[in-house]
Amino acid sequence: MVKIFVLIKQVPDTHNLQINRASGTIIREGIENVINQDDFHALEFGLNLKEKYGGEVTALTMGPPQAESALRECLAMGVDKAIHVCDPIFAYSDTLQTTLVLKEVFDKIKDYDLIITGTKTSDSSTGQVPYQLSEALDIPLLTDIFSLDIKKNIVACHRNFGHESQNVEAELPVLLRVGRHYNEPRHISLLGIKNAFEAEIEMTDHACLNSPDCIDGNMKSPTRVTKTEKPEEMKRKKEFLKGSTSEKVQKLIEIMQGHSIEKIWIGKQHL
Amino acid sequence: MNFELKDKQKLVRSSVRKFSEEVLAPVAPIIDRDAEFSWDTAKELSKINAWGIQLPEKYGGADLDSISYSITIEEISRICASTGLTVTVHNSVGAYPIYKWGSEEQKEKFLPDLASGNKITGFTWTEPNAGSDASGIECLAVEDGDDFVLNGSKIFVTNGAIASVLVVGTRFKKENGEEGMTALLVEKDMEGYEIGTKEDKLGMRGNPTTSLYFNNVRVPKENVLGKISDGFKIAMQTLDVGRIGIAAQALGIAQAAYEHAVEYSKGRIQFRKPISNFQGVSFKLAEMATNIDAARLLVYRAAYLKDNRERFTKESAMCKYYASKIARKATQEALQVHGGYGYMKDLPVERYYRDVKVTEIYEGTSEIMKLIIAQQILRGNI
Repeated sequence: MVKIFVLIKQVPDTHNLQINRASGTIIREGIENVINQDDFHALEFGLNLKEKYGGEVTALTMGPPQAESALRECLAMGVDKAIHVCDPIFAYSDTLQTTLVLKEVFDKIKDYDLIITGTKTSDSSTGQVPYQLSEALDIPLLTDIFSLDIKKNIVACHRNFGHESQNVEAELPVLLRVGRHYNEPRHISLLGIKNAFEAEIEMTDHACLNSPDCIDGNMKSPTRVTKTEKPEEMKRKKEFLKGSTSEKVQKLIEIMQGHSIEKIWIGKQHL
Repeated sequence: MNFELKDKQKLVRSSVRKFSEEVLAPVAPIIDRDAEFSWDTAKELSKINAWGIQLPEKYGGADLDSISYSITIEEISRICASTGLTVTVHNSVGAYPIYKWGSEEQKEKFLPDLASGNKITGFTWTEPNAGSDASGIECLAVEDGDDFVLNGSKIFVTNGAIASVLVVGTRFKKENGEEGMTALLVEKDMEGYEIGTKEDKLGMRGNPTTSLYFNNVRVPKENVLGKISDGFKIAMQTLDVGRIGIAAQALGIAQAAYEHAVEYSKGRIQFRKPISNFQGVSFKLAEMATNIDAARLLVYRAAYLKDNRERFTKESAMCKYYASKIARKATQEALQVHGGYGYMKDLPVERYYRDVKVTEIYEGTSEIMKLIIAQQILRGNI
């Protein structure tokens, strides 16, 4: 039985994001919170593995009390269990403090085969936690996975590496970081929603950890965000091309190449 | 008093919205254009339990509350009103009366296939000579041994071409001389059951509406729904429930029209300004938003009363009357905001304008809704 844990994070819906210019932080009030988009792909990856190999999928998040709704959504999507790592002292954790908390949590869980994460979160975009957590737990990290087979305690996976595809093997337990291009997250069913709100969510707080002394999100996070700002909007430019159609096409290609667009396809022809 | 949806209901909204935008949106203009029901879409709807929204889990349903039900129909109809119609009729006036008045045998026989979407159902009462006057039906079921022999015809049957079993309003005659109205579960495979041609309609074209002919159809007595003489009561109480779904459907169409109008008016520049800067346009948006909000509160209140087992005949008629009225107006104004573009088939606004009209007609016209509301008031339900 494969024990799968998917790490998810609740983030502000980036469609309507505003930044407080004075404090340099994201305005979270009045903004709807959603599951980080990449994490849906991680959940789908985990659920697919369960359907193929049996076992159990647990969604795990570290976040404030309102992150419960994100876990309910994971349950509605089909995960078997949900763990909410939540304590006021975890607030303001940077990626390192987050990793240390998660390490403590997994040290307590002990029995895990696969930990799956998305690539990065849309609110901070660091993508550091999978790397740090694999180091902290001293387990292999496999990134950019798009398919995977499990035989006994060995995982064999295909991963993307630049323009190559690699076959990699590792021994369980393993941390997987999956991309968003290799699966289509399933739609949530109404029965799933009904059951999700009847399920228990396991709570883990600061007191549950084996060695809580190293944890203090606000005081012990080495990272400080000094400023957050919106990039200046690029103004759209327009240019009218002159000449015959083929001259215009040639000119257009040159312009596009000037913008570091690597591959240009016209019909089936690669230029 | 709490005006906020529960977390569960919020998740129903976001999930069904995502499903509708991803799965139904590409199909909606096509089933409208071709006037074709999509079985592929029906299979996708099965995956989210849309065919058994409120049926208990033991029959394969999702066992949700009535506000979640309304939200589901609203969100489906916001993207594809035809699909919203198929789904709400199946759930609220087809599967619901079987669950509410059916025997355990009937429930076990029909509900699992209905909840999974393997089979589609519906409800038919209207006949050539009996519409608003529901007591005037002429379909006749005459007792003959263990069966009733059914003769007559039905018109404007929603889901007519795709339903495997229908709740059919009939006038019965027993051998002992007893007469009255009964609701029969009539199955497509019964001999003498004939589906008429598909109606060519103004809107809701993705839902196949047909007439039905019953030619000496032998319906076994075990297919009588509830008590034999309870047909009229079953029909009226079923329609009380059905109307919440139709109101939710109208609400979804209104919401879609309104959202399109807001977006378009912000982007359309005339006289060097977005047209939303002109009060002639922005006041239309303000009216739409207010009306939609009011209609939504009426719909959810009716659903709330139903869930709390309180009387909701008046409230269900009110929400259907009001939501369909303001939805018709919203689609009309949304089209007007779009000007000539709104009249073209390139944009979905003209579809909303066509689809919405029937919400003022089926499951009781607006005039019948006012009649019901007035009757309730004058009986003391002020």
